Amino acid sequence: MKLFFKIFLWFLAAIGLMVGVVIFVTRTFQADPANSRFQRSTRTQMLIYSGTAAQIVAAEGEEGLRNFLTRLRDVEPPRRVDLIGTDGSAYFGSGEDLAGFQQLITRTRESKGAETDFTSEDRSLAAAPVSFPDGREFVLVLQWERTAPPSLFFGSWPANLRLIGLLFTGTLLCYILALYLTSPIRKLREATRKISAGDLGSRVATGVGKRRDELGDLAKDFDEMAERIESLITSQQRLTQDISHELRSPLARLNVALEIAKQKSAPETLPQLDRIETESHRLNEMISRILTLAKLESGAEEYDRRRIDLTELVRDIAADADFEAKGKDKVVEVAIAEKIAVTGSENLLRSAIENVLRNAVRYTADQTVVGVDLRSENGNAVIVVTDHGGGVSEDQLELLFRPFYRIGTDRTRKTGGSGLGLAIADRAIKAHKGSITATNYNGGLRVEIKLKADLPEQT
Amino acid sequence: MSKILIIDDDEELCELVSEYLTVEGFEISCVNDGEAGLAAALEGGYDMAILDVMLPKMNGFDVLRNLRRESRLPVIMLTARGDDMERIIGLEIGADDYLPKPFNPRELAARLRAILRRADTANAETADTEKLDVDGIQISAASRTAIRDGEDVNLTSVEFELLSELLREAGKIVRKEDLSETVLERKLSPFDRSLDMHISNLRKKLGQRSDGGDRIKTVRSVGYIYTLV
Repeated sequence: MKLFFKIFLWFLAAIGLMVGVVIFVTRTFQADPANSRFQRSTRTQMLIYSGTAAQIVAAEGEEGLRNFLTRLRDVEPPRRVDLIGTDGSAYFGSGEDLAGFQQLITRTRESKGAETDFTSEDRSLAAAPVSFPDGREFVLVLQWERTAPPSLFFGSWPANLRLIGLLFTGTLLCYILALYLTSPIRKLREATRKISAGDLGSRVATGVGKRRDELGDLAKDFDEMAERIESLITSQQRLTQDISHELRSPLARLNVALEIAKQKSAPETLPQLDRIETESHRLNEMISRILTLAKLESGAEEYDRRRIDLTELVRDIAADADFEAKGKDKVVEVAIAEKIAVTGSENLLRSAIENVLRNAVRYTADQTVVGVDLRSENGNAVIVVTDHGGGVSEDQLELLFRPFYRIGTDRTRKTGGSGLGLAIADRAIKAHKGSITATNYNGGLRVEIKLKADLPEQT
Repeated sequence: MSKILIIDDDEELCELVSEYLTVEGFEISCVNDGEAGLAAALEGGYDMAILDVMLPKMNGFDVLRNLRRESRLPVIMLTARGDDMERIIGLEIGADDYLPKPFNPRELAARLRAILRRADTANAETADTEKLDVDGIQISAASRTAIRDGEDVNLTSVEFELLSELLREAGKIVRKEDLSETVLERKLSPFDRSLDMHISNLRKKLGQRSDGGDRIKTVRSVGYIYTLV
């Protein structure tokens, strides 16, 4: 939306500036009569008049001159015509109010050419010298009413309307233009967001339409890119799921065949057969985890979301984990500050917390305690799991949540993890728009899960 | 000898399971698609069916749904491991138990025996005349029926056993460990959620009390209690 306003305001400013410049230029040139073409042509006209007057006096005498001057006067609209002698008396014309002409007459005598005077608001004056054959010198003065050209934008009402109309049209045009330019960008953004949120089927071409400009091309390119990403990701996900699924059938047969072998085998081969069983169990576990992860990563799965009593869920999981830990001389201690509920999928949250907790139990040193802490903090439910397993190096903390990431020498395969537990927890928590982070803490690892807590139930 | 019907499209697996279960003392028939499986199950003569979810022609859920209209033949469903929805749907439409695939055949044999034993007590020992009438629910061990407020509640054999155990001890906490051993006939292991799932289905089928409260309450990390008003 910011871009929309930017474009809108810039165009509006441009139009405003243009109007301003037009007004400024018109006014400036109107206010400079010396340079006006109209004034030049008026002067030329005056010279023709005065020349004609001199010729008529010479050819037809003073009677002809009077006729000519009368014709000059009686045009539509009528003009005042005076022929003034050197003594200041009027040879032709009323001779009234000559004082106003005096300056112009003096200028004309000095320059011996045509002169004009447009300084007055309501009348215009033009003068030129006329020489009679007998040597007398006169000045021909024409005065006519001036109707000022109506102002373009200011003052009178129609002019104001014109200005308002112009501004309105300009604003409307700017708005449409800004909308036209930014709406495809907005649609592109929406689509980008949807894709990054996991909706890989999102496209823009239908929204942007058949634009044949750079934005239309961009939309087309975007769609092609999205298409490619979608097919890559879905094929990768499908591959993972298919592989895992297909691996199960042989595994199922292997399990049965193994049992048959056990039924028939001699006692000395039993340890090996048991070993085969353990490994097949691990394979199986890993496959189901890969499938869970693949489903979580595709984000396509719909979860059954409802209110969950997190307090009870955490206690439940901790009790199970404690049972498991006791067999290994470890203890799980729970500290729950208050009752907290969240909205989400119980199965997903259970598997997330369970994975984190079992991971802690697995890696904590013998005869140490794994702490589970649940409290609420700024409207979030915070679950903190701490172990005493020596922690991990700082640069590897982020990598803990990657599938199959294994940390150097201290946390080896001997401990029997699939390498997927924390990755599953991470995806499950993110599917709930929560966060999960790992830090080192007092010679152990501290995993913090943050989820948006529900408001306490009103009863 | 108990006759077991296996409905699974993996022929090799069927052969192996047949071989294993024959040694364990069962008589096995295999069918490889849903339609034929349903027909065979309806024909009768079997004590139990093992039903895979992914089947050609008709999937396992549809087979079970159709079967349940006419028959109460005990059914174990083989579900995809890690797919909770499959388990929940399977139990809801009337499977007696489920086993995630790939399964341990010893576990399969143990569950078959457990379910068969329950079915036997139901069919043969009509001497078991125990009748309970608690909180508007009447159950009869002889006919293995549960009636709530005059309406027949359609329960699987596991759910029936769970309800009987809880009603017998109505108002008292029944420990999860005990329920697991008496009803599912296996030791309760940590992170095993099957008991919770059976209970949750049972809750759904029984419905809530008129005051909106749950009939069966969970006592965290201990067990369940059938509450009395």
